[in-house]
Amino acid sequence: MEAMQYLSESPDSINSSSNDQPVSNRNLNRSQRIAEKEKRKNEAEDPFVAAVKYFSDVEAGTPVMGNDVFEGNLVVVEKVAYAEGLPPDAISVMLEFAMSLRMGTSLCPRVLKCLIPATVVPQDAVVRAVAWLGVSKIPISTQVLFIKWVLTVFDMIDAKDQLRAIYGFIFSFVTEENLCPFICHLLYLLTTKQNVRVFRIRKLLDLQDRLGKQPFLLHLLSLYKVFCPELVTLSVPSRMKRGFRNHNSPWKSALAFVQKKNSAAIAPSAGVTLTIKDQSNRRKRKHCHLELPVLTCALNKESQAELSSNRKLVPLAHLRSFAELLENMHRIELPAQMGSLLSTSVALHYLDCVQEESALLRLNFWLGYTLREEFLFCRDGGATQNSDEALQFLNRLLCAHQFLQEGFSSSEGFLYKFLTVWDGCLMRPQILGLLSNIPVVPSYKMGQLLLEPLKQLYFTSSPFFKCGLLECLNGMLRNWLTWHSVYALEDNMDISISSHTSIYMTLSGLKDSVSQLVQFVDHLAVVGLQLESCHSLLLNFILDFYETVCDMFLKYGLPLVVLPSPGVFYPALLATDPVSVDRLAYIMHRYKVNLAFAKSQLKITEAFRISRQTFSDFNHYVVDMVNFLWNAKAFQSGVNVQLDEGILQRSKVPECSTSFDLVYHPAFMSYAIDFHHKCWPERKELDLSSIKHVKPWSWYVEYLFSQGYDGLELFKRTNINRWQPVKGDKEDSGTMQL
Amino acid sequence: MCFRRSSVWIGVAKMVPARQKSVARTPNSVVQRKSKIKSYRQSYQSMTAASRLCLTRALTSLWLNTSRTAPKSDNILDKVDPRQLASLMKTEWQLSYVTPLYQFRYTQLKSYSRQLSAFMAAEKEQVEDGATQNFKVSFSVVHGLVETDYDAETILIQIYSKSFFAGQNEHQKPVWKGWLACVNGNRDYINSLPKEFISLPLFGSSGTEALTALVKSWFQKNFDCCFGSLEINHISLQWLVALWTNYHAESNIKQLQMIWTLPVQPLLQVSYAVNPVDAWELWCSVKGDQPELVKENKVIDIDDVMRLMKGLMGYFYRLFKVDLSAGSLSSVSTALGSAKCRGQIKISNSKCMTTTLTLLTECALLKMPI
Repeated sequence: MEAMQYLSESPDSINSSSNDQPVSNRNLNRSQRIAEKEKRKNEAEDPFVAAVKYFSDVEAGTPVMGNDVFEGNLVVVEKVAYAEGLPPDAISVMLEFAMSLRMGTSLCPRVLKCLIPATVVPQDAVVRAVAWLGVSKIPISTQVLFIKWVLTVFDMIDAKDQLRAIYGFIFSFVTEENLCPFICHLLYLLTTKQNVRVFRIRKLLDLQDRLGKQPFLLHLLSLYKVFCPELVTLSVPSRMKRGFRNHNSPWKSALAFVQKKNSAAIAPSAGVTLTIKDQSNRRKRKHCHLELPVLTCALNKESQAELSSNRKLVPLAHLRSFAELLENMHRIELPAQMGSLLSTSVALHYLDCVQEESALLRLNFWLGYTLREEFLFCRDGGATQNSDEALQFLNRLLCAHQFLQEGFSSSEGFLYKFLTVWDGCLMRPQILGLLSNIPVVPSYKMGQLLLEPLKQLYFTSSPFFKCGLLECLNGMLRNWLTWHSVYALEDNMDISISSHTSIYMTLSGLKDSVSQLVQFVDHLAVVGLQLESCHSLLLNFILDFYETVCDMFLKYGLPLVVLPSPGVFYPALLATDPVSVDRLAYIMHRYKVNLAFAKSQLKITEAFRISRQTFSDFNHYVVDMVNFLWNAKAFQSGVNVQLDEGILQRSKVPECSTSFDLVYHPAFMSYAIDFHHKCWPERKELDLSSIKHVKPWSWYVEYLFSQGYDGLELFKRTNINRWQPVKGDKEDSGTMQL
Repeated sequence: MCFRRSSVWIGVAKMVPARQKSVARTPNSVVQRKSKIKSYRQSYQSMTAASRLCLTRALTSLWLNTSRTAPKSDNILDKVDPRQLASLMKTEWQLSYVTPLYQFRYTQLKSYSRQLSAFMAAEKEQVEDGATQNFKVSFSVVHGLVETDYDAETILIQIYSKSFFAGQNEHQKPVWKGWLACVNGNRDYINSLPKEFISLPLFGSSGTEALTALVKSWFQKNFDCCFGSLEINHISLQWLVALWTNYHAESNIKQLQMIWTLPVQPLLQVSYAVNPVDAWELWCSVKGDQPELVKENKVIDIDDVMRLMKGLMGYFYRLFKVDLSAGSLSSVSTALGSAKCRGQIKISNSKCMTTTLTLLTECALLKMPI
């Protein structure tokens, strides 16, 4: 209780109100007055208010035909009724208008149909309308419609005492054959013990003789029998088939809509994004797995009695803000259904520190069940049927993943299954998003669970899917590395084998997994670039990935260096867009920094050993890059790319070797021309080779750097040691020695 | 169609059908989270191996068992109260699988009865039975309907309609019945669950769908579990054919009736009834033993099942030139019980109760999300 009280009067609100009042009391009053005035003015102008006024004032006998004012007003009322429901006074006015037949009988059904209460129905209005039934000549079908309306809104009538008072009057309509079933239902709802009288029973029995054993009569009689068993001798069958047939009234759906809308408006919105469960909608759907359970308190109080006696527990459902959560952190009671934790951000905060294994397991059971039922077991393609809901659900799950910065194991298990049947299109962003959140997969499992299905999807889909997948795998790698860097620091990398039966990942296990993932992506990249003929968008996603890979050691502390294979390196080096070349230069620069750091570490500790092969591969790449871009000696040093002279000659490109330096490289040619124009504006003829002279060359390189090609600049700074200003001399690339 | 015994079966035993993979396996990472160590901070291993929210459990048996043994105690009537057994038999149950129940207590069944009655009263407008009906719920334990120590006892739920007008002494028949069972559940799976969970993976219900939905939603709200429909797939139905045929020596199966669905346009349904004696002889020849020995030999292998089916299909092919192996079995019925692929089961003889429930428990456990 203590906690509850505290929660209900938030300290903030008390403070703020007590501070504000004395200072701005007068202002407040004035502003209130103004607001009221404004409101009144608005009301006067509000077409709805005007329309209702019209119906309350309209004189009897006003013609309907060709009456535009009337038509306009009715349309206004109808619009409001279907959108948000009618307020009680409007219900009174409209009901009175319809039942009094002031403008004839033809309108009555139309008006009745739009009587959708927003909140309650005033009892007076209903009583008056019933009175009209006896007075005016309302067609029988309209009378039926009216009684149906009363039955539909019965629970919304604000009081029933007066209706009960006119029980006898209502009863008199029983004799009307068409009205009888509905009147019986209404009487059934109104009957009290005092209403059961012998003459009424006799009347009903009479009717039964006349109409046969109608269920509505039987039901009313059986109720009479319950109240006064001594008066009713009739034997009622112990099990009756059905109650009063629930008349498929025209108001049901509109009423449900209005109520839903109104309840949504009332629902608390303080940082809480609750999904309001829509019962009516839910019943229609055959598969309704995708709804988050409502956050409710644990129902089995008895079983937890011993727990709560020790300390007062606060149900999570009662918490509305993060501050409240912090206050009650130590005594929070988990909800009855753990799945509901995904519904609000406050609950997600709490989930982040839930430690109970069973609680997480409950959540995983629910989530795994939901995902599998919706996307795997659904025979009739349920996922495509209600893709909106599925989309919302997955988005919510994705949000939760991103919020918690980790994925749930059940969604991981689901993904492994789903990947084998996925067409690569359905909910692509969501699925890829979930995929990038999966925790580290042990390398011996990775191939079968993850890589094989992904490979198949990758090779059979468009370049855009390929890009998406590469981005997803990049995210996955980054997540793995981040986890490692966070938790390796905490535990100082003491890797102990647990006594449990399960297998834990050691550092070397993680390294295996990471290098397997990198090699897999490398493989995808090489083949992808060939398939899509070096699609530059794809190339950019590949370089994105390598930007993560090249920094694994320095940025994330994972002692592992994996170089891109030539199938990635050379397409990037020879790409036609300068951005790719620049990014490659940046990546090579980062590799160099990482390797240099690793080497310096090696001198201090035997932290990790980089294979000789890695160094030599790296050196070859750097040499090639410098030879291509700076020394104009493409295809000559040729360790990695060995091209047959014949092929080069067949290409009919004069001076192949120079065609990929910074001047003639297709990616930079436009800069060279631009530079040429700027440098020698007076020259008519374009002579790019003149840039290669010592001075212009250094200017040109500076010019390129100034255009934002930082990667090239960094690459030059770390890899090119000496600057030999004589053209044709080999520039020394700063290769690394082990 | 019935056929008399003939020499058709010679050579059946020589057929070696390809071993079929029954149920798609659940890929489960074996990596498991290390339980929280002393402090709030998580350990490196736990995070990198599988994140904190990842409690991935390994189901050791990811397929249906490939061989089955008849239960040791032949007479279930010795263990189970015959009245309770009778209420489980001769009713067609609609099956579902249920994820483990959280904090379900066998000591609280009385209170559950009350709670469920109250819940149904509160939600009764959803049930179309009219306003005059009230429900009385009874939870009871069917003691003895288990095979191993780690199986949780079966729960029987019965709902009676409490009409205002029904006489007090009228014999009450439940309007809805349902049960939750676990017979011969996978030991590793059950042991891997924390002790707050009780695994009763198999749920059978008989009654209106509205009531079933109410009961399910009450369970979901109270024990944080989920219900999904459990189909009896082709392989399981084939298993049932063999298991029931195997009982013929003890209790006459009267007739072995199968319904096959063939994927042609329009769908072709083949109803195939076999004389019990023929079925038994075929079974004996499949087992390659004398009938007396077959009775003794309690182990049935998936290969036996496949050979039996091959024999049945082969005979049909020779007569009608229709290859049933192209279609799938959608229903099996004998005097011992009947099963349909949509998940309906009826057990009419207590003898095969345990065997059948064991198979179904396995199917249900295979559907578990974790």
